[in-house]
Amino acid sequence: MGKSKLKSALLQHQGRDPIREKQKKLSRRQPKSLCRRGGNGEKEEEEGEEEGGNVVPELVDIVTLASEGMLKSAMETEEKHTESDPEEEEVQDSNSANRGEEVEEVEEIESDSDIPLSDVSASDLDSDTDHPPHQKLTTNNTLALTASLARISLPRTLLFSETLLVTTPEPTAILDIHDDLARELTFYKQALSAANEGRDKILAEGGQFSRPVDYFAEMLKDDEHMGKIRQKLLDEAAGTRAAQEARKQRDLKKFGKKVQVARLQERERGKREMLERVKVLKRKRQGAETETATETDMFDVALEEAVKGRRGDSRDGISHKRQKKDQKYGFGGKKRFAKSTDAKSSGDLSGFSSKKNRAQFTGVKKRKPAMRPGKSKRAGGGGGRMR
Amino acid sequence: MPSSSPPNLTMASVYKSVSKTGAKPPSPDEPDKKNKQRVLVLTSRGVTYRHRHLLNDLVAMLPHSRKDAKLDTKSKLYHLNEIADLYNCNNILFFEARKRQDLYVWLSKAPNGPCVKMHLQNLHTMEELHFTGNALKGSRPLLSFDARFDATPAMQLIKEMLHHTFGVPKGARKSKPFTDHVISFTIADGKIWFRNYQISEAEVAKSVDPDAPKSKAVETELSLVEIGPRFVMTPIVILEGSFGGPVIYENKEFVSPNALRAEIRNRKAQKYHARTQEKTKREVKMKALGIEEGREKGELDDDVLFT
Repeated sequence: MGKSKLKSALLQHQGRDPIREKQKKLSRRQPKSLCRRGGNGEKEEEEGEEEGGNVVPELVDIVTLASEGMLKSAMETEEKHTESDPEEEEVQDSNSANRGEEVEEVEEIESDSDIPLSDVSASDLDSDTDHPPHQKLTTNNTLALTASLARISLPRTLLFSETLLVTTPEPTAILDIHDDLARELTFYKQALSAANEGRDKILAEGGQFSRPVDYFAEMLKDDEHMGKIRQKLLDEAAGTRAAQEARKQRDLKKFGKKVQVARLQERERGKREMLERVKVLKRKRQGAETETATETDMFDVALEEAVKGRRGDSRDGISHKRQKKDQKYGFGGKKRFAKSTDAKSSGDLSGFSSKKNRAQFTGVKKRKPAMRPGKSKRAGGGGGRMR
Repeated sequence: MPSSSPPNLTMASVYKSVSKTGAKPPSPDEPDKKNKQRVLVLTSRGVTYRHRHLLNDLVAMLPHSRKDAKLDTKSKLYHLNEIADLYNCNNILFFEARKRQDLYVWLSKAPNGPCVKMHLQNLHTMEELHFTGNALKGSRPLLSFDARFDATPAMQLIKEMLHHTFGVPKGARKSKPFTDHVISFTIADGKIWFRNYQISEAEVAKSVDPDAPKSKAVETELSLVEIGPRFVMTPIVILEGSFGGPVIYENKEFVSPNALRAEIRNRKAQKYHARTQEKTKREVKMKALGIEEGREKGELDDDVLFT
């Protein structure tokens, strides 16, 4: 780079770096040349077809010319080093404005966004130009597509009964494609509106729409298939009914268990009350008046006392204690061999219970040792004793 | 005038047409007013039973179709044009199965094209779906298209081809004169969704109207019951010729199922790869520090020294 000192001094004065500028320009120019390459490829492709063939090459020529022109201007600026960057931008803009009048297809070829990733070198990606990376080059040859459509499309003058084609007036909108219910509803609505519209048009043209009731013909799904479907529906209904029944049973069972538990608790409570009453009674018999006992309790106890007193006080003036002692130690009669077995006693099976015998061996239900009553109970019950 | 005029006219038909022209001059666009379609329906080798059942469903729905034996080749698809010519078909509906799992659909206008290749997924045949709807075999369906089909030229083309293939032309052999089902095509999520509904008519409760009995037709309300099958198609490519010619449209958003599967596999493999890499890294590090993992403990090791 043989540069005059004067020139470099000028550049320094302006505060510009020629090397960096050159790099920038190069990087900017590269995509254009790539586009040109793409455009040529397109041209070859286009020549294969009948209709679009004579239009596109012309356009491509303009493009190539334009880009060449741009190249020239870029080189000029490089040589002069006097024009600033904004001016070059203007040149580009004017070029693109000229081309903007052409068909949009050319713009697609021109646009920097559609460059295959493989064609873009690493240095391009590193520089300040930013391309959104696209893996595939989109092909959307509008001209050829419309030409093909024109070739195959049916004449517009066809009656509706010939085509039976209905297009929705507005595009369907499905917000969430994964929402099955909403999606299917959209499809259903579309088809239903089409059915209504189709019926109106067919009837307007004097055609037949609905099948007469007495018209029988082969169906899309045969009877066997429909039978299968019906069976499936029936099975499903039966399944749901069975499930409901099972759930009801389960609930009942749960409820029954609750009832059972309640009954057991009731029984337990009754027993406890009974025992307590007996305790109170005993205390009364001992002569210890309970202050805690309510009037009703007292009444009860008095009744029971009366009942018990008559039964267990004494028989023929002999006290209970004496009676027991007599039984234990003997009073009158022969004492010897009184407890030994004889033929009669060994033959006596009155005390035998097969149920008890069995329970002894199975030993499944062991009685829990009686729990010590809670503190409140003890405090309540033994209030009198504490004093 | 006969609805279909074969290219080699017999004497009788020539006479007939001549005598007719004498009586009444036919308008020049008279033959154009007919929608004449015939579809060749076939699959490639290697389809699964579900693909086959779908084909059977479609054949049952399309009385203007001609079913042919499975095609032996997957590379020389242009042979299909000759087969279509053999059967006087101007449409081809070809199912191409790959790897016994991926199904591609080709819709083509034989013999000059264009043709569309689409990837078919979410396939459910009529038998699997257990829908209660039913329709006459061979009745002509109403075709319902989403308005989005008119948005782009590619979709317009696809719409036209779907119309030709799935629309039963009037007066087709075995077709019935009644309309009792709707086929709907909807574009959502960049895919084309196919649904088939039965139109069921229910009489509306008559309003007390004095002039109602005048009209002979009874007012009915339409509702739909789905028949099946269901499937979703993703357009991949449109060729200008029939199974050949330049590519005029390519869907860049389409990811091939192979790539998808590979991606899933790679993601799984990545886990193992990361683990082994971490292991070797650790080994190297240990070696660099002079620590061997399986080494016996010496007297001066921390564990021994400060027990």
